[in-house]
Amino acid sequence: MKIHRKRKIIQLPRIRMSFKLRSIQTIITFSFTLMTILVVVAVSFMLYNKFTKTAEENAYLNIQQIIEQVNYHLELYVKGMQDIYEVVEEQINNTPDISSPVLREQLTTLLHTREDLVSVGLFTPKGKLVLDIPNLEMRRNTLLKEQSWFESALDQPQKLSFSAPHIQNLYKGQYKWVVSLSRVIKYKDQGVTKEGILLVDVNFRTIDELSRKVSLGKRGYAYIIDDLGNIVYHPQQQLIYAGLKYENLEPVFEYAYGSYTDKSTGETRYITIRTVEPINWKIVGVAYPDEIITTQKDLNQFVFWFLLVVCAAVVVLAVFVSMKISQPLRRLEKSVQSVGQGDFSTPIQVSGAYEVVQLSKRFNFMLHRIRQLMEQIIHEQEAKRKSELDVLQSQINPHFLYNTLNSVIRLAEKGKKEEIVATITSLSKFFRISLSKGKNIITLEEELEHVRHYLIIQKIRFKNKFSYVIECEEDALACMTLKLILQPIVENAIYHGIEKMSDEGFIRIYAFVQEERLVIKISDDGLGMTRQVMDQLLVGGIRSGGSGVGVKNVNERIRLYYGKNYGLSFESELEEGTTVTITLPVEKNEAERQERGIS
Amino acid sequence: MTSQIAKRIMGILMLALTILLTSCSGVTPSLHVLEKPKNVDMIVKMNHGDFWNTVKMGAEVAAKEYNVNLTFKAPPNENDIDEQIRLVDESIHNNADAIILSASDYMKLAQVTDRAAYYKIPVISMDSEVASARIKTFVGTNNYEAGQKAAERLIKLTGTESRIGVMNFVKGAKNADEREEGFMDYVARYPGVEVVDIEYCESDEQLARKLTRKMMTEHPDLNGIVALNEVASIGTAEEIQELGYGEKVKIITFDSPAKVMELLQEGIVQGTVIQNPFNNGYLAVQLAVQVMEGIEVPDRVDTYSKLIDLDNMLWPENQKLLFPFVK
Repeated sequence: MKIHRKRKIIQLPRIRMSFKLRSIQTIITFSFTLMTILVVVAVSFMLYNKFTKTAEENAYLNIQQIIEQVNYHLELYVKGMQDIYEVVEEQINNTPDISSPVLREQLTTLLHTREDLVSVGLFTPKGKLVLDIPNLEMRRNTLLKEQSWFESALDQPQKLSFSAPHIQNLYKGQYKWVVSLSRVIKYKDQGVTKEGILLVDVNFRTIDELSRKVSLGKRGYAYIIDDLGNIVYHPQQQLIYAGLKYENLEPVFEYAYGSYTDKSTGETRYITIRTVEPINWKIVGVAYPDEIITTQKDLNQFVFWFLLVVCAAVVVLAVFVSMKISQPLRRLEKSVQSVGQGDFSTPIQVSGAYEVVQLSKRFNFMLHRIRQLMEQIIHEQEAKRKSELDVLQSQINPHFLYNTLNSVIRLAEKGKKEEIVATITSLSKFFRISLSKGKNIITLEEELEHVRHYLIIQKIRFKNKFSYVIECEEDALACMTLKLILQPIVENAIYHGIEKMSDEGFIRIYAFVQEERLVIKISDDGLGMTRQVMDQLLVGGIRSGGSGVGVKNVNERIRLYYGKNYGLSFESELEEGTTVTITLPVEKNEAERQERGIS
Repeated sequence: MTSQIAKRIMGILMLALTILLTSCSGVTPSLHVLEKPKNVDMIVKMNHGDFWNTVKMGAEVAAKEYNVNLTFKAPPNENDIDEQIRLVDESIHNNADAIILSASDYMKLAQVTDRAAYYKIPVISMDSEVASARIKTFVGTNNYEAGQKAAERLIKLTGTESRIGVMNFVKGAKNADEREEGFMDYVARYPGVEVVDIEYCESDEQLARKLTRKMMTEHPDLNGIVALNEVASIGTAEEIQELGYGEKVKIITFDSPAKVMELLQEGIVQGTVIQNPFNNGYLAVQLAVQVMEGIEVPDRVDTYSKLIDLDNMLWPENQKLLFPFVK
């Protein structure tokens, strides 16, 4: 049970959601947001790739340049040392006696000019000291002949050897880290030319500092190895000797110049190699790409926030724009809703997009028309009711009844029996058709019958003051017509046209079908009417005396029932007579009427 | 129906977006390197001397490598235990992320170590231990083994029938005790070798000289002396040289100050046991990082000692140990 209930709860917002999903605002918001975000993401993705690639390249280039610079400084430094060595050698060569104080003085001065020059020494190939500057006491147990500078000088007498940095243990005083330059040279000892090994020790500090200062990111570093693979400088030399650190030297040996990515330590490291030319040392720069390429991290963050902000902005914008578009529509919808609820009076006030304004204008126009039509219908209904009431009244017109009964009395007094019978019979038939079971529509035949009875009564009443003829074409007889339309016209003809005539009048009723219309002409040869009177007739200014149902009423009823195309028309000439023409649609029977949908 | 499909498409697109967004950021760091720098305080016994400077150098290398802000602190003298306690308290107060301690006294530093642990500051013991069960790990020389190495070489020089003196530094310092113990345990194997005197110089050179003089007066027939730390070594060896017992009294020293190296070359000192202070410092910081990162560490990390004599002092790998600084 509980599960069921939960399901219902979940479904509710879904229905609402689906409803909203179809709204213009949602569609615009989502499509707009989606499009923009897709474009932004695509563009930033491309830019991001481009940027990172460039940043990476720049970082690598930067590392290479740093190592290049260190290399350049080292080469310069080494060349300087070589020059000094040659100066020392030249001075020794130029001196006839090695023990001359002048030479010692010259060399001491030279030593003072260069701070990083530690000592100059000349040894016999057997390791005996010949000359040392500065003049310091030699230590014991120097193991001089086993040291690398001594050995390499003897191995390659012509070549100036550079030793790996080592501790100088020859003279008392400080233990200094030095790089030894050594070669076999010739010197003159009291005129005798001898061979000896000239040693110039250069303080290692300059090289050490130079290498230490290399900054390749926070963790990156540079190290130097000599041509045999011995470590000349490494910031973590002790760790390497202790086996705690490992430096993959194999590929370093293969390259003299270049860069590669090394993964032997488990981490990606970017290695750059340069060779210090004169001594074949190799400077190796080690950088950690994930640290060097900090731009990537920055960019990551930037792109992330950028996208977030853009997305937020796009969503806001999309909501705003869609609201701008959909709001007038929604207002329109609300207005239409109020119209639907029956309020036709207030026109819609909608501003906004052209289309919406146009739509609301049309709608207002339509509303106006509806209102007009509604008013018209109300008006017509009222008129209809009124005229129907009139007809109802005329059905039992007391005046007419009174007049007729009066004439019957008169006839009775005169004993005109047949005429009484005719009058009463006609009156009875007249009223029967007048009532005709409450129907409004009757056949033309009945209507003609009705008017005929009326004429019979009136003729007797007016003592044969007029004669009449009723003619009808065969096909018109079955046509349907509103009842009591002929009688008021005939009444009018009698009272206004014939009664005041001195001669006998004549009334002719002629019905026929012409061009899908039922035409009934009622002509008299009475006094006729002026134009003004004719106009007044239809407006309702003149009321015929007798029956009370005016000509105007007839016209209005016809128009109400059949439309404005039908009705009455008058032709009249003074002293000549009047013809009233009634035009009606041709309707064969009751069923047909209903088909046309007119009740 | 259509709305459901639309919803599903939306969902997929949103997912794709999030993946895109997240893939742009976040690179997994390598296990050991700290993403944000952490403060590690290293408190050692003394603020001068090559030994401690080398420890500091190693620690600095590791700090750079692992993104650590290293603060190096030490009292002016090795026997200034109260000052060292104060320095540890200061680090606790400053809320260090980890403390590396080289305790001057095994017992007296225990309480403050426990206090640091109480404040959830991991303590790594370095070089010499402290009597606290709350330390995360110990990194340092295997001092017992170092003591044995010294004894082995000294007995080789003096012979199995000899009289030997011991110049120790601070009684109660764990490393001093361990070296002495190692030394004595090894000597005990030779019934003919007699340890006639054990003195404590409190890491004071003058006191070491005085005690040496006293030792030589009391035992003029002494065959050999072992000095168990840097300061004791200098004092003892120089005094022996001055007294004219050079080469007659064999000396094995500890550590490699320049003076000791000179005396080694002069033949006064026959050998010196060196530790690897650089590695001690380096490993201590490395272990501190591991502890802070929650990586398990071993209880002990031994760094090995080495006996240096005239023959091997100029080997390239030893030169850097003997002379860590380029001067």
